[in-house]
Amino acid sequence: MSGFRGATAVVGIGATPYYKRGTSPDPEMKLALRAIVAAAEDAGIDPSDIDGFVSYGSERNTGQKLMPALGTKSMRFAGLSWTHGGGIPAAVGLAAMAIHSGQAEIVAVYRAMAEGSNQRLQVAVTQDDTPAQFLANGIDMVLQRSAMRTQRMIEVDGVPASTLEAIAAAAYHHAQNNPGAAGHGTPLTHEKYAGSRFISEPYHLYDCSRENDGAACVILVSAERARTLGQKPAYLLSCPMGASARQGSREDNHEPYTSVGMIELAERMWAESGYGPEDVDVAQIYENFTGMAVGSIIDHGFCTAATAGDFICLDNLVAPNGGLPINTSGGNIADGFIHGMGLVLEAVRQIRGTSTNQVPGAKLSMMAGGPGDSCTSTCLFGSEETLTR
Amino acid sequence: MAATARMRGGIGADGPFWDALENGEFRIARCRNCHTWMMPAHFRCGTCGSWEIGWEEVAPKGVVYAWTRNHMVSDVLKERRGDLPYVTVLVELPHAGGVRVPGMLVGDPPDLACGMPVNGTIHPAEERSRGYATMVWEAAA
Repeated sequence: MSGFRGATAVVGIGATPYYKRGTSPDPEMKLALRAIVAAAEDAGIDPSDIDGFVSYGSERNTGQKLMPALGTKSMRFAGLSWTHGGGIPAAVGLAAMAIHSGQAEIVAVYRAMAEGSNQRLQVAVTQDDTPAQFLANGIDMVLQRSAMRTQRMIEVDGVPASTLEAIAAAAYHHAQNNPGAAGHGTPLTHEKYAGSRFISEPYHLYDCSRENDGAACVILVSAERARTLGQKPAYLLSCPMGASARQGSREDNHEPYTSVGMIELAERMWAESGYGPEDVDVAQIYENFTGMAVGSIIDHGFCTAATAGDFICLDNLVAPNGGLPINTSGGNIADGFIHGMGLVLEAVRQIRGTSTNQVPGAKLSMMAGGPGDSCTSTCLFGSEETLTR
Repeated sequence: MAATARMRGGIGADGPFWDALENGEFRIARCRNCHTWMMPAHFRCGTCGSWEIGWEEVAPKGVVYAWTRNHMVSDVLKERRGDLPYVTVLVELPHAGGVRVPGMLVGDPPDLACGMPVNGTIHPAEERSRGYATMVWEAAA
């Protein structure tokens, strides 16, 4: 266990509505400001006291650009974590490290997207990053490479294709109780899933994440300060980032190929936090595509390829009674997709007890970053009583 | 070097790979010191530390390591929309240390599966391949 464990906590969460992509009434920067101010109000903090700004991916609304509108007194820390969705828990970790090391006191971690101000996410995040080896051969950075990996996971590792549908079904199941979710009011039946068109085999339409306009933010402070504020703190127990020796940018020559790069991260998280997969009450699993979320669940040690068919089924993945309720707001697939940032807010709601699909008494709440990213991260939040173990 | 401007992105140490294809040869990077095959090519051998990277000609024969049949592509690949549906593969090269190269598979064989043997032929540069000559794969007879 590390001294970093439980040293900081999320004390504020804020988000704009999730708009259908391209329809935000506000430009991207205004969305970012609205989410940050909402998170500050939720925490009972004056927005001008925020002194750290952290994001990830292709975020363009830097702290220095936001300062004038927030009335920032002093920006003492700013950073962008590598790389795309893989950088979300890592961004939370950067904020926590800045606080723990005394560089900043109140740090906002946020992401804002508006297609009208920017462009399609898949273009914005991959245009300078996709190797010619793929683009010259009709292969996109994310979709097709993920589809190929999932195809081999099914064909060679023996993970049943039913696990993909279970991820999508759990997301839509939870969205029905979340009035703000994009998928609210449109349940996903087996017939609807199976009858939807293929995008890249084995992915059907419903295996693919949405893409929305909107912004979301969480605010971290020291554990000491967190106890003086109004909200129930969600303590950060562990937040490993990185890539193991045979991973990194290897253009699909990484090993093991069907891993999503989180085996070593998960081992570090369990060692640092003192908890294991069997202790986790609820998890937000980033799903760009369902098959990659399946890989993330396997990499984290919740099940193996051999047991995935039994573990990754609808009944086991839904609140309140499943063994591992996942994506309880509806996730990227059925709640909405602000590059996965909404999953962090939902992980915090579960600790607070305010989710629309609350897991009763949830104390350990996990959030896994973008699976398959060449550098990725994962994190575990805990309630006050989890600190003493 | 080819007249076509190289796109940005990736590691960028694979210029000789593309130049070789334009010259009708399939070459894969290999460390001159410890003989480790490299895909993607890099600027230094991470195994032994050598900066001397060679390019060895390899027979275009391999096996399908992973595949997908694409029914839709994003704007990133809009020049391929006319080819839909099409199959893309990751081909393992047993004659080059088992490194894997991405590519397109023509013919869409009914028994398409991981492990299927494939042979490659070089296709000249065209707009939809972003101006690069490419190795295109098909099921081995």
